[in-house]
Amino acid sequence: MPDPDVDVVVVGAGPAGAAAATVLARAGHSVILLERGPFAGSKNMYGGVVYPRILDQLHPQWWEDAPVQRWITRRSTMVLTDDQALTVDFRSERWGRPPFNGATAYRPDWDHWLAAKAQADGATLVCSTTATGLLREGGQVVGVTTDRPDGDLRAHVVIACDGVNSFLAKEAGMYGEVDAANYTVGVKETIALPKDVIDARFGVRGREGQDIEILGGTGGVNGGAFVYTNLDTLAVGCVLKLPKLSAQALRPEEIIDGLKRHPAIRPLVEDGEVKEYSAHVIPEAGLSMMPQMTGDGMLVAGDAAAMCLAAGIWLEGVNFAMASGMYAGEAAVEALAAGDASAAGLAGYERRLRDTFVLRDHRKLRRAPELVLSDRVQHLYPEMIANTVERMFRVDNPAPKPGLRRIFSDERRRAGVTLRDLARDALDGLRSFG
Amino acid sequence: MKLTVCWKWVTVDGGEPDDRWAGVSPADEAALETALTVAAADDEVVVVSAGPPGAVAALRRALAAGATRAVRIDTDGAASRDVATAVAAIAAGSDYVLCGDYSLDRGTGSVPAFLAADLGAAQALGLVSVDVTRRPVRVVRRLDGGRREVLDVPAPAVLSVEGSVARLRRASLAASLASNSAPVDVVGGPPRSEQVAVVTAYRPRARSLPAPAGGTLTRVRDILDIGGEPVHSESVTLDPPAAARRIVDQLRDWGHLPA
Repeated sequence: MPDPDVDVVVVGAGPAGAAAATVLARAGHSVILLERGPFAGSKNMYGGVVYPRILDQLHPQWWEDAPVQRWITRRSTMVLTDDQALTVDFRSERWGRPPFNGATAYRPDWDHWLAAKAQADGATLVCSTTATGLLREGGQVVGVTTDRPDGDLRAHVVIACDGVNSFLAKEAGMYGEVDAANYTVGVKETIALPKDVIDARFGVRGREGQDIEILGGTGGVNGGAFVYTNLDTLAVGCVLKLPKLSAQALRPEEIIDGLKRHPAIRPLVEDGEVKEYSAHVIPEAGLSMMPQMTGDGMLVAGDAAAMCLAAGIWLEGVNFAMASGMYAGEAAVEALAAGDASAAGLAGYERRLRDTFVLRDHRKLRRAPELVLSDRVQHLYPEMIANTVERMFRVDNPAPKPGLRRIFSDERRRAGVTLRDLARDALDGLRSFG
Repeated sequence: MKLTVCWKWVTVDGGEPDDRWAGVSPADEAALETALTVAAADDEVVVVSAGPPGAVAALRRALAAGATRAVRIDTDGAASRDVATAVAAIAAGSDYVLCGDYSLDRGTGSVPAFLAADLGAAQALGLVSVDVTRRPVRVVRRLDGGRREVLDVPAPAVLSVEGSVARLRRASLAASLASNSAPVDVVGGPPRSEQVAVVTAYRPRARSLPAPAGGTLTRVRDILDIGGEPVHSESVTLDPPAAARRIVDQLRDWGHLPA
């Protein structure tokens, strides 16, 4: 085997790739970080909130220079029907000061910042270059081919952080049959409004921001919706289950339009100027869709490994990407030290994933995505909950107040929810979230 | 043979110099590709850009594509007259100087003209094709009304090409990697210009016209220019001072210049 050009090739300069490259560069290894866009973050898209706690290990005091738009100090969960809205709203000043919790950030800023840190540690970033396939010898992955002339790049280890629908992981045979039901499409509008208008509408000041997660508001397509505050823009969008989306007539942008016209959302977004519309596929099925993550000479991290937690209460992805990238980097360092880049030599990767939140959260919440996106939770419960609350707060004098149990029981029946289904879902929910 | 390529590095959003939102126009890239195609193996292709340190990333891309030398003139916001003088010092002795016909900020295109004057070179702009196999180089210029002009341009000459002339070749992976640490020469440049150019959208000046005459149909015909002979252009032969005066008068009449 000829000498490799570099110790490790990391494909994709997103959060996973940048974290992996940082770990490897710090350990003194030569590492090339390939990015298909003109700069790190230029091709990436997400809803808008990142939970960077894991960066405490990689970049202590990261908040001092992180390109954050707003710190989430107000976390709301909203249930929408056509003409009702129930919001559970929590705010904490503690999340607005170090060590912080979640933040809104633009990916072209965030990923650029993380990749610049990897470069500062010694990684080589090569942009505008797409990895087009794997170089293999026997069963061992020994590098990648790229779309540049003379573009073969040989390495001891390839870490694929090439995002959802990872062509490299598929080429390596690490994914089973791809099922569209495991994916959602996230669509988002970035809407510009003056900062003081956003501050007033969302009741925040300075760098504080609000994160609104919405059940309902998706035009009858199973999924969820969101409104996030950036400094002088809002991110408004939906996440839509693919088979359900294709089975009906509305286009994703029409569904966002409907959301923006909802009486509870309209006052937040009206008069804003749409600056950007973007869409991206999301691996939403959690543990059940994860590929094989270790091969001979190859690791898969981030969205490429389906590490997106879509569990209703918790909607996370970038933190899983950064953590899995970091652990992939550590495992590669171990393998290089031992001179064994086979799957056995790289086994430290999955061990780390299993021992940390990365796979523990996914295992614990393995039933959550299906439950959250189920027809009952999506179509029957919002109506049932909103009607119950409406009757609870409605004053029907001269009729005396019915008891809450009576109201709930009425509304449950009216929504067509059987006690048996409710109990089953409650149990599922308890198992996941309890 | 020496070839010089001028790149105008522009920060797109006009804010802090940020490499992500900055670059050069497709026309500038076409200029480099044309130079690389003209150049024989031992020819020198110098790429020069006047700009802040952020311009280095673009210049390294030029080196990766095959330029032999890159020079950054250290300046930010200098007047184009001064930039041209600084570029001329580097471009001196070039057979051809290649420029993009437009920059990302759609500037005035004055640098190539100043440059040609400083170098005592011929100038051809608005080029839609450059036949590099001929000597002198044969170019096709875009004229108004869809017409074209074919010129044989002997060296030395400043040529401004449109983006459609060529597409910049993709650098090999090895060249891309090497360019990350490739040296870019830096020379001192002119200071920031005190003269602030205010660019506004073109608004034709109000002009007094005689009151409309004739019936409705005639007036509609007049407004829509129907039935008359189409006037594409006008050719006049004048000595240079009179020609310059004529151009200024015409620009004033059209409203491009204040009355």
